[in-house]
Amino acid sequence: MNSLKIICPNNKRLLKGLSGYRLAVRVKDPAQAVEAAALVRDSGNDLVRVIVDSEKPFDQLTFLEDQKPLPLAVITPSMGRFRHLAKGLNLLREMNLCLYLPCGSPENSTALKILSSLGVKGCALIGRGPTDWEALTDLMTYALLERVPHAAIEPFAFIAAHYDPLSTLNWKEVYFDDPAQFLHMDSKGRIALTAAELGQRRFIARSIDEIGGAADVPAIRERLQEWRGYFVKNHPCASCNGWKVCLGTFSPPPPKENGCAGFFREMIEVIRQYRAQKAGGE
Amino acid sequence: MANILLTTSCNRSCPYCFAKREMAAVTTEPLLSWDNLIYIADFLKAEGQRNISLLGGEPTLHPECVDFILYLLERGFDVTVFTNGALSPARLKEFKEHLVEVAFERLSFVCNLNDPEQTPAPEQEKERIHLFLSLLGPWTIPGFNIYRLDFKLEFLFDAINRYGMKRHIRLGLTHPVPGGQSVFIPVDQMRAIIERLFSYREWFDSFRVTPGLDCGFPICRFTDEELGWMFRLRVPSHFSCGPAFDIAPDLGLYHCFPLSNYQRKSLLEFDSLRQIDEHFARLRDQLKCELPGIYAECDGCRAQEEGVCSGGGLCQVLVRFWQEARIRLPEIEDELPKNNLSE
Repeated sequence: MNSLKIICPNNKRLLKGLSGYRLAVRVKDPAQAVEAAALVRDSGNDLVRVIVDSEKPFDQLTFLEDQKPLPLAVITPSMGRFRHLAKGLNLLREMNLCLYLPCGSPENSTALKILSSLGVKGCALIGRGPTDWEALTDLMTYALLERVPHAAIEPFAFIAAHYDPLSTLNWKEVYFDDPAQFLHMDSKGRIALTAAELGQRRFIARSIDEIGGAADVPAIRERLQEWRGYFVKNHPCASCNGWKVCLGTFSPPPPKENGCAGFFREMIEVIRQYRAQKAGGE
Repeated sequence: MANILLTTSCNRSCPYCFAKREMAAVTTEPLLSWDNLIYIADFLKAEGQRNISLLGGEPTLHPECVDFILYLLERGFDVTVFTNGALSPARLKEFKEHLVEVAFERLSFVCNLNDPEQTPAPEQEKERIHLFLSLLGPWTIPGFNIYRLDFKLEFLFDAINRYGMKRHIRLGLTHPVPGGQSVFIPVDQMRAIIERLFSYREWFDSFRVTPGLDCGFPICRFTDEELGWMFRLRVPSHFSCGPAFDIAPDLGLYHCFPLSNYQRKSLLEFDSLRQIDEHFARLRDQLKCELPGIYAECDGCRAQEEGVCSGGGLCQVLVRFWQEARIRLPEIEDELPKNNLSE
């Protein structure tokens, strides 16, 4: 089995042509998830995730019992109204599901809190469009320091678990956007490094056969070392306190201190408290 | 027990309301936000609380009232909503769609009803209350605020039978707001109120309805026979004041509506219910050091010493203190020069 994970569309012809890979398959609606997962497995691949990328609010999606065993990543623009979700919460809690919401609005940050407090895992999509840093700081603090147990909120849980002040951390893997682990495939089998580049049709290979292990491909290698350029250019991000977590993701940085720099600085402090709490509890 | 205010707005203007003016004056946020609701729910959950009451203003005016109720139920709380029942058709439809399947044990309403003759309401309001009780009567306890000596309860027994409501009536005294202008029952009329209440004893017995006394009734104004009747019926009575507290939409924390301006704090200032209890205990102790209760005989009263009775409501005590201090202080000041105690 190849160590690379490939994010590919739910395309029968394409999936039948792949074998021996670890695949995450993209669908538009949860109703397609079971069939897509079966297709991946029947073709001799491992199913990493079913990514439901919907334009509908979360409360408008229908989930069923037979989707319970599937690892689902559900990306929607908003949660919708809680009243429409209330009856289905037991099923949502039993599912292996993570809801991804863009965090340009305080409403979505609050929605992630609501669902997390009820045991549904969520993920804040940071950097897709404008970001409300204040609401995001509240969410991050809630995710890591709240007083009662709740479901994890990513990417904060991942960062808190893996942050090392002596090393850099690429937390984009929670968004399937770390080229060291994930590659993105279009319906013609062409390969891009990130979901955004797939949308822009910026491909690094015409097929997966052109790519061996991740480290062997110059485009991937260069991308993984791209952060070094910030030091070469003496970019302000390189001297930011939040650098080791951010790696220049939001460059050019907002001029005001309360933007990304303030957020990541705060996050590092919250992680310190989080770890102290954990250590105290053990 | 925590009372959470969803909103400071109300769609009625009852003559005895002891909340409206004060709430509007001191609360900086008119509507409870989701973030504050989650904070409150986490705080109470961490403290092992199981019950939450939702108040206003009129809580059903909050646009997300249904969502908040469903959320709190999902968090494992049993929820009681204090409402006037005058829901808009749209809100009532939401209640019908989302709440009528909730078990009676998990969700209940206390519907504050006014006597249609003594406190007349517009036709639209009466119709809305009728529709609310027709839908949610079995989940609902009628509540009644006593604000005049000649109050009547007949209409409540009628409502219980007509709408299949819970066979219980929650009776509250209208309390004074220190420094406020609202109508309330003076402490020297307590006995008259209790006599009037017990004139309905046969009604309670024949309709198999129990009365429930809210805070502020002093035990000494009941006869032993009246107390015996209540004891036999296991009537929930609060001769003590507290320990419930109210949380405003802006997370303001205070003892009760009449004292919403008195030593107001923020929930954010406390880490546990114990700290809150200690804060309110200090508040009560401070006042009780000056005045043990609403009557002179509260001083040295056995029921008070043993914690059975708090000597009336704290708001009544505060009003007595405030009124007496204004009289006493000039007297003291007048005496000072006579005794060469002032220059």
